[in-house]
Amino acid sequence: MAINKRMYKIGDELAPLTKHMTQEAINHFESSGGAKGPSQFTDVETARSTLGTKGTVASGRMSLTFTTELLRRFFGAEIYNRGGTVDMRFLRPVRPGDSVTFSGKITGMSKEANGCRVTVEVTGTNQKGDTTAVGGGSCLVPSGYLPAEE
Amino acid sequence: MSHAEGPDHRKLLNWDELVIGEQLPTLDYVLTQEMMDEFRLGVMDPEAAFPTISQKVDVRPYHLVYRDDGSVNARCSFHFYNPPVAGKRIVVHAWIADKYARRGKNYIVTEAVSVDEDGRLLDRVITHELKQPSEVGKKWQ
Repeated sequence: MAINKRMYKIGDELAPLTKHMTQEAINHFESSGGAKGPSQFTDVETARSTLGTKGTVASGRMSLTFTTELLRRFFGAEIYNRGGTVDMRFLRPVRPGDSVTFSGKITGMSKEANGCRVTVEVTGTNQKGDTTAVGGGSCLVPSGYLPAEE
Repeated sequence: MSHAEGPDHRKLLNWDELVIGEQLPTLDYVLTQEMMDEFRLGVMDPEAAFPTISQKVDVRPYHLVYRDDGSVNARCSFHFYNPPVAGKRIVVHAWIADKYARRGKNYIVTEAVSVDEDGRLLDRVITHELKQPSEVGKKWQ
């Protein structure tokens, strides 16, 4: 299979990814992990008693998964799914009805024994302009996917 | 996290006494195609390859041992090695990786590694949980 070689450079921006959160999506996410009972994610009353919030919130792991999608689309599944990382801090809740946009840019590149580690900084921003999550990720791009060195 | 009905024999979390490095119970489960499909619906991504993210396999073993007042996920990271395959049994080894206090709030860090029945390393997850959830709820009104 032919390999699409690609250049990376610090400052390159990733195509942003926007997700529209719904309670239905949250319920699917929680249910897929085996959490069938009420929780702060799926039940308003449980959210009130546990967090003191007026309604449910989405798990931070949903934002983590959206960041994973952003990075996978940028690097390609064939390498990101076998050498990628993601690391996010969750600053504000994402609620049903919110739209969150994840954007990022390359902030670092370092040679490793089997390729080049490309590091990306990522921010999640809601429809009000508030930052909901910050962090980033990286991907070990095998040398075979990089242009030959001069 | 909810717990099965009946007497609850889990230990009440004493953050001061929690030992970094404590091994948590090993989990194993079969990842079904239904789990994968539902995960992809939830994250609105038909190509999402790691439904292990929603399994919360680092905090689930913690909750088999400890009970507490709930938690909020403050930070989470994943290292991806091989996408899991539907129908395969997955074995998870988890442990307490760290604990720290910041601005008067207590955090616990759990870590877990998932390996499938063929011995393929799937992923590693590290989660930082704030153990006073009502503290952030006050800010989240």
